[in-house]
Amino acid sequence: MRRLALLLPVAILAALASLAPVVPLAPTCAAAGSHHAALLVEHGAGSVVTRCVAFDASSISGEELLNLSGVAWSSQTFGGFGDAVCALDGEPARYVDCPGKDSYWAVFVARGGGSWQLADVGISTLALHDGDAEGFQYVPASGVAAAPVSAGGVCAAGATPAPRRSAAAGASAPPAAVATPATTPAETAAATDSPEPAAPLASGTRSTALPPPQAPPPAPSSGADLGLFAAAVAGGGLAGLAILRLVASRRPGP
Amino acid sequence: MTAAPGSGAGLAPRAWLVWSIAAVTVALVTDNPVYRGLVALVALDVLLTWLPPGRRLRSLAVAVALAAALAALINLLASHTGADVFARLPDGLPLVGGPLTLESLAFGGALGLGLVAALLSVAPLSLVLEPHDVVDAMPAALERTGIAVATSLNLVSGFGRTFTEVRDAQRMRGWKPGGLRSWNEVLVPVVLTAIEDSVLLAESMEARAFGAGRRTSYATARVGAREAVVVAAALAAATVFIGLRVAGVPMGWYPYPTLSLPPIHPLAVAGCLALALPAFRLPARGSRPR
Repeated sequence: MRRLALLLPVAILAALASLAPVVPLAPTCAAAGSHHAALLVEHGAGSVVTRCVAFDASSISGEELLNLSGVAWSSQTFGGFGDAVCALDGEPARYVDCPGKDSYWAVFVARGGGSWQLADVGISTLALHDGDAEGFQYVPASGVAAAPVSAGGVCAAGATPAPRRSAAAGASAPPAAVATPATTPAETAAATDSPEPAAPLASGTRSTALPPPQAPPPAPSSGADLGLFAAAVAGGGLAGLAILRLVASRRPGP
Repeated sequence: MTAAPGSGAGLAPRAWLVWSIAAVTVALVTDNPVYRGLVALVALDVLLTWLPPGRRLRSLAVAVALAAALAALINLLASHTGADVFARLPDGLPLVGGPLTLESLAFGGALGLGLVAALLSVAPLSLVLEPHDVVDAMPAALERTGIAVATSLNLVSGFGRTFTEVRDAQRMRGWKPGGLRSWNEVLVPVVLTAIEDSVLLAESMEARAFGAGRRTSYATARVGAREAVVVAAALAAATVFIGLRVAGVPMGWYPYPTLSLPPIHPLAVAGCLALALPAFRLPARGSRPR
């Protein structure tokens, strides 16, 4: 039994280690790779910078995407939350607090060409797959943080796979997420600076024909549902047990 | 004579020690309020299952509730970040002036929940076990340190009792609390009594061969199959949480800038439930560890 007590944690650690995402770093050339992820930087003044980055691995982190994009940025680590972006593409030019007290860089993610969702993890933990997009918006510290007005899909159509989410989410994916293929290195790493919110790129050029995506948020994954269900059942059971114990302890003994 | 822990009545002190350390680890390795809430519920269930007759949770509940409320309040007043502003304090107020947001309230609540979970997790060491049980649970290398700490903590409560006794005795002699100087008539006897008690305790411990060797006890705490299962489950729970964190699974929760549902991993929920194992074994009446 004692041996079991010792072996059990080791076995669990080994099983968890096998779950760890293996994310080999993409080569230094941003254009090399069969998968693509988009980067969108929306400044406080409204100007937008977009990048389409290619990579070979099954996924890359939001931090790696930034590094591969060539956009200048700086960050600060916040323990388990990962890194927070302090300055991006020259905004703010100087800072003392990170995140800034007045404005900060909000991180969004668009999965498989879907609509923007506020990222619930830091960029070092955020995993991006083929067809995903990472968005940064410089927003005021107080007030409602809206999603970037620009479309998430800035990569080529050939590089954008079918959405991995549910059929409903796939149907809601805006056409903006599927753009003209960008196959050459120059096109793949193409960037567009614009003084106003940008629409998706086509072969490295900005298109103004497509409206920003207004798709509903994608359905939550079944893993999240299972976790929520398990937590609700466990919490209810434990609370019920506590109430039973309390009632039993107040009941006079024989 | 009390029933020997681990001899069929209750859990061995070392099993309690491992369980408490594992529960605190789980509560502190994540700042996810869902996991922390589950750990707090588990610890409450375990406490209610094993609480000896005559001991109450009221003072602990009050202290825990105050600590949690204070943590939530401080974060609400000091942190002005967040999208959902529900009130605003004048900007002229130092530190607390500015918008009050739901996000900072939620984050403060999560901090308070962590305090609740951690305090309830270590509560069995003081409410379920006797001080000598805790000393027995210590590894041999920490035994003397444990005795010193336990003795010091006992002196704290003794100091409080002495203060009450001296104050009442002085009142019966016509003393009334006034300015600072008037408290000399209470504090001086209290300090003298505390010193006398300390000397008496030291002599008593020396007379009982303190420091002569490893402490012996009438009933040796045996580690049986039940203790092994509880220890294995507790270690598994802590390992799951640490492992998930190492594996890169999001275990934290950050409500800024807008509130969002914490990420919940089914394996982590199972880990919390593994800690609840001692709560599902009701010991025979009158044979709980005292």
